[in-house]
Amino acid sequence: MDREKIKYTDEELVKRFQEGDERAYIELVKRYKDRLLNFVYRYLNSFEQSEDVVQDTLMKLYTSAHMYREIAKFSTWIFTIAANLAKSELRRLKRRRVISIHSMGFDDKEYEIPSEDYDPAKETTSNYGEKQIQQAIDTLPDQFKTVIILREVQQLSYEEISQILGISIGTVKSRINRGRLRLQKLLKELKEQ
Amino acid sequence: MDCYSFDRIISDYIDANLNVKLRQEANEHIEACPRCREKLADLKSILSKLSSMPTCKTRSDFESRLMDRINQTKEQKESRFIRMFQDYSRPISVVAAVMLLVATSIFVYTSVVIPNSPDSIPSAEIRSMEPNKSITPPATAIANVKPTLVNANNVGSLPDTNKVETQNYNNQIMMVNE
Ligand SMILES: [Zn+2]
Repeated sequence: MDREKIKYTDEELVKRFQEGDERAYIELVKRYKDRLLNFVYRYLNSFEQSEDVVQDTLMKLYTSAHMYREIAKFSTWIFTIAANLAKSELRRLKRRRVISIHSMGFDDKEYEIPSEDYDPAKETTSNYGEKQIQQAIDTLPDQFKTVIILREVQQLSYEEISQILGISIGTVKSRINRGRLRLQKLLKELKEQ
Repeated sequence: MDCYSFDRIISDYIDANLNVKLRQEANEHIEACPRCREKLADLKSILSKLSSMPTCKTRSDFESRLMDRINQTKEQKESRFIRMFQDYSRPISVVAAVMLLVATSIFVYTSVVIPNSPDSIPSAEIRSMEPNKSITPPATAIANVKPTLVNANNVGSLPDTNKVETQNYNNQIMMVNE
């Protein structure tokens, strides 16, 4: 069986599942459960809730596989479902948590204007821990957060991100650039605290 | 290139998405500007950290929990169907009884009233059923009567279509009222 699995692409597996082969579904679950979890976990920063979102995503795959058309890559399709579910879960959590990382006021300036008091010495020793980085991700506005995780953590292409989020490649590019700079600025602020 | 312009393209610079000319300008700026040089180094290190963030794994019972949920949903769907059937079974039986009644009346009407000419038997006479009154049924009406009914109700005589069908009709009414 293991040797058999290798020869199927994701798209072939969905097709087999659409035709009623439940083993193909289980194989897709095995392929995607951890990948999806890593994406959702960085987005929600809560293991339990993230696992639930991944379960919901894979349930959706089970009940709605017939909606998949081969014009899209399967990975893009499943990430779209996960991204949408994660987004609504985050909204729900935010209503509950009401945790705010203080003094992180977001002005919606397009780009940060280089300040005169920039201190390179502070940056050269940039040694950010996972916790700090996660904290900065949590604080990113949603439109940047999703692209940053998809790009930097999932290592997806601009094209794939554009398909998942339903936005143009130009917008993806601009959000990645702005998101990265935002993240950098947030980390700097966290360090200074 | 100034620092502001460099900020705008820093991401494309890292992802090597710039054309030769822009890349050249960016390189020149980085060499001349410590701020942007450090900023670039810092951002690169953040991104490499991001890409190597520890990954997490679903718990070992993830798949079994998922399959349980799927099976549960399947069962719920089935039981919902059964419940729906149960909820509607009373109204369904009433409707069925009414339809049976209507169908039987139509059958009686078409096989008894229509085949006879209007002046030969008034409809009231069907119900009064005087046993001695002889009614000669037309050929078509005889043809409509099933042989079993004929044998059971009118042994050895010409079948009295009216009697047979009316009895049948009354039986149906009794059944429904029960
Ligand atoms: Zn500069």
